[in-house]
Amino acid sequence: MNQFIRRGMLPMQGGVLSHRLFASLPPLTPSPLPSRREAHLWYVVPDELKDASQLKKYMELLSSCERERVLSMNGERLQKGALLSRALVRTTLARYCRVNPQSIKFKTSKFGKPEIMWQHGDQCNQPSLQFNVSHSSSLIACGITVDVPIGIDVEEKQRKTMSSISSLARRYFSPSEVEYLGSFSNTDARQKEFIKLWTLKEAYVKALGRGFSGAPFKDFTIRLEATKAMQLAAVPRVHIEADSDPEYLTDNWEFALFELSSSHYAAVCMERDISHSGRENEPLRLKVWKTIPFVEDEFVSGTNAVKYICGLS
Amino acid sequence: MASTIGSAISSISATPRRSSVATAVNGISSLKSVSFSSRRKSLPSIRLQPAPLRFRISCAAKQETVDKVCEIVKNQLALADNIIVAGSSKFSELGADSLDTVEIVMRLEETFEINVDEASAQNIATVQDVADLIEKLAAEKSA
Repeated sequence: MNQFIRRGMLPMQGGVLSHRLFASLPPLTPSPLPSRREAHLWYVVPDELKDASQLKKYMELLSSCERERVLSMNGERLQKGALLSRALVRTTLARYCRVNPQSIKFKTSKFGKPEIMWQHGDQCNQPSLQFNVSHSSSLIACGITVDVPIGIDVEEKQRKTMSSISSLARRYFSPSEVEYLGSFSNTDARQKEFIKLWTLKEAYVKALGRGFSGAPFKDFTIRLEATKAMQLAAVPRVHIEADSDPEYLTDNWEFALFELSSSHYAAVCMERDISHSGRENEPLRLKVWKTIPFVEDEFVSGTNAVKYICGLS
Repeated sequence: MASTIGSAISSISATPRRSSVATAVNGISSLKSVSFSSRRKSLPSIRLQPAPLRFRISCAAKQETVDKVCEIVKNQLALADNIIVAGSSKFSELGADSLDTVEIVMRLEETFEINVDEASAQNIATVQDVADLIEKLAAEKSA
């Protein structure tokens, strides 16, 4: 996949080093921005990446701070995961901004949510890209939207908890969610429902961007509700519990829940577009790509890699 | 793989620990860890660095509390035997995700018979932080 790179094409930031870097890596396929009601998801499967020289190239994309953090992870597996996580974020954003992935700067919001720090002259600040990352030990995903906040979460379908599902639910979930989980007598089914609910709740909290303590799981319920639209059975909706803070916990959010790569449950949460009235019940549109940055991209929406559960069109 | 050498140093009398001056900004601790363990590189060598003296504001938790927390953490995260977990270990570096974290908190609550609310948990970064919080909550409970 070594293509001749025309130097004039992409805005090169940084000095000689970035020129040399770009000479050794093929360009990232530029992507058109998601539309207003659309989310894009790019994911990488770490176990499929065994090429040490490829990993080394990803390392070169990171800031020195990120590199330090990667190296401080405890063990090679965690280091690889941390590296791929940063490489995925940078390369994904670079596809939409058409910049050198190395040049993107990040900051955290006052609540600790990672954001892009726009520089003077960036082509990407209007409209503004929003992103969120999630990883399990076997899959890393990055969600992208334009303008609206997004939160995503991925969990292994087979993930086993040390504590029982019912004790975890009683401690952390809302009463109606506890009741919902309790209605599954089959422990395997209950475990799967727990994981699905967990990813939805986690995606919501991450979309809100206030951290786990800013949106305690007990303070809101997510459940499936019938929609007016005929083609959908039900969509997940969030309800704020009566005695929690309505200022921070809002309910104008859309959710999508699906199986990803046959191995994971994935949830995407994005702010509902209420500017177009009558379209509130339109489902979230999602496009998914599997990637090994600079090596291979595969559009997987509509394939077995993305199996709809609820909320998606 | 080289891992934290905290356990080697914690037996020394002047146990270095993070100062408790935590600047919590709306739930986010901006405190930098004072990990004195060597920076992990891909080479397996471990460099012992002199432990910086820490300015203690509050009492450090008992060693047995720290040990118990380490045990629960190791158990939850199913860490390989060669990975050492000690007071200075940062949760972010051990690969604990949010589900791991809540499981650990719940296990700690059961073990120490305390209740950890989200607000007090938000400044936790290391195992030592957890141990300190546990003893603080346990003390408040019995007060």
